[in-house]
Amino acid sequence: MDLLQIAIEGTLTGLVYGLVALAFVVIFRASRIVNLAQGQLVLVGAYVMGTLLTQLPASMAIVLALAASVLIGVAIERFVFRPLIGQPVFSIVMASIGLLILLQGLVQLLWGAQTRPFAAVLPEGSWSLDTLLINKRLLIGGGITIVAVEALRIFFLKTRIGLRLAAVAEDHFVALSLGVSVEASTRIAWAAGAFLSTLAAMILLSGNVLGLQAGDIGLRALPVALLGGLESLRGAVLAGVIVGVGEALAARYLDPMTGGAMSQIFPFMLMIVVLLVRPQGLFGWKVIERL
Amino acid sequence: MLPSGVHFRDHAEELRLLRTVPQRIAMVALLLALAAFPFVASAYVVGLAITVAITIVAVAGLQITVGMAGLLNLGQSAFVGVGAFTAAALYANYNVPMLPSIALAGLASGAVSIVFSLPAIRIRGLYLALTTIAAQIVFPVVVLRLPTGWFGGSAGIGIDRVQIFGLAIETPSTFYFVAVGVMIVMLLIAFNLQRSHVGLAFRAIRDNDIASSVLGVQLGKYKIMAFFAGAVFAGVAGGLYAFYIRYVTTDQFTIWLSIWYLGMLIVGGLSGPLGAILGTLVVTVLQEAIHWGGNRMMTAVPQLSGGVIFSVTNIVLGAAIIYMLIREPHGLNHRWSVLKSAYRIWPYPRA
Repeated sequence: MDLLQIAIEGTLTGLVYGLVALAFVVIFRASRIVNLAQGQLVLVGAYVMGTLLTQLPASMAIVLALAASVLIGVAIERFVFRPLIGQPVFSIVMASIGLLILLQGLVQLLWGAQTRPFAAVLPEGSWSLDTLLINKRLLIGGGITIVAVEALRIFFLKTRIGLRLAAVAEDHFVALSLGVSVEASTRIAWAAGAFLSTLAAMILLSGNVLGLQAGDIGLRALPVALLGGLESLRGAVLAGVIVGVGEALAARYLDPMTGGAMSQIFPFMLMIVVLLVRPQGLFGWKVIERL
Repeated sequence: MLPSGVHFRDHAEELRLLRTVPQRIAMVALLLALAAFPFVASAYVVGLAITVAITIVAVAGLQITVGMAGLLNLGQSAFVGVGAFTAAALYANYNVPMLPSIALAGLASGAVSIVFSLPAIRIRGLYLALTTIAAQIVFPVVVLRLPTGWFGGSAGIGIDRVQIFGLAIETPSTFYFVAVGVMIVMLLIAFNLQRSHVGLAFRAIRDNDIASSVLGVQLGKYKIMAFFAGAVFAGVAGGLYAFYIRYVTTDQFTIWLSIWYLGMLIVGGLSGPLGAILGTLVVTVLQEAIHWGGNRMMTAVPQLSGGVIFSVTNIVLGAAIIYMLIREPHGLNHRWSVLKSAYRIWPYPRA
């Protein structure tokens, strides 16, 4: 029973990692931008929503915060990544590092370093199922993640706009010569990425303390996205679950022997082993390289 | 580009780092200026110069891994930390003299980097950045769990008296010569590495790894070597840091520091060791200017705090990186070489 309880907790936490990784994958898949500022995107969303929640009723604050995050995503595309269209991938990665430092600085300047409470917008406590306890907030969060990933799959695979995004991810120049607007795709990618990041911030922080360390989730999500494969939506969520369960199991069974070290190191060991076997991640596209 | 009238009799002359007489005169003048610096500058500025020298070594190492070989490294400060802890432990616990401790710190860091770069044999591109994040996360976790007799655990390691060749180093101005001396040696290595066959192999991997493997560059070996070289520089920087600050704990080496190193390198330019020097200098000057301005403002506007100054520094650095990538993708390094060639062929317009 103990094992099952740990697995459930790990899965639910992992689904939140998966949601952040999903934001990363959406941006990559639609624009070929590796967004190292993913954690800071969550951070900005968290502070915007946290502040709105202190002023407005919960439902209104959530809707406004999500709308604001879409605007922030569009602004990032307009001022940072649009001028870089056609530049090598490496420059774009570097730009995301610049964005990381910039967003962190902005949040510090506007809100300061002290922590503040984040209103509980999702139900607190747990449901008990027989002897198992299921955290309500994380279960709802997991539901949101699964709905988000399935909706995005339909968007990317069935709609005309989504297929265009895939063309942009394949090659900017080819997309441009086929008349697909790289600008529009990048804008959609960032709007969706910022939206998902804010959703993740809400699930993660509801009823918790809001501080600058909320951005640390990005450090966990990037490895999760790499494990799942940078192009795979379902892969990101599944990798999140794998990492979440692995972390929970390591925390329960290995930490007592290593003084709490294993649960932090274990996800990375797991990921490096998986990448050694499948260098493109679990479900990433295996690209055939030509000279 | 060189002015007309400069010619070389053989290939070796053309390959020299300093090729013309004016270049040699300028280098001697620069070295003299560096030597005279601690006698004219205030104690604060000398301390700043030591920090800059240490940072230049770390960023020059990052330039080898990221700039020359094109492998993203998000964990440089962890390797600096490995060096700092090694040097401090060797000096404080085993009485190894200062300069050998610093050299061994470099090697220790390099050895650790090999462990983390082994996946490079199979993993490519951005996926490889993951192992450097792993290094950054694993570093404090492991150091804190090792027996306290090795690295002091969460208390860290302190160094009481710093001696070199039996002479005590009491003031920052004395340590300045150690730091700048080590920096010059490391920069010589970096500039020479760039034009050696290893440096050329790194550049081939950066430009097209598949093509270079077809041409006979062993990808796994050279990628591991690129991480190793970068980490040796980081370790040496860490060793210097340990002897300058004289107290080492794990929270001095965060991922945030790694990101700052990358920021400095981008501003300076990824294409050569000069980029590391220019980037570190410019970012430090910017940072000091913001601190100075902030402190002046703080007397006028009392609500202002140190946190505000710190966040403004981040905003300026982030904006500078994005601006540089959009307007000057090759960094200040490129701007410098444009200026240099314009000066050399003056009064003729740029070719």
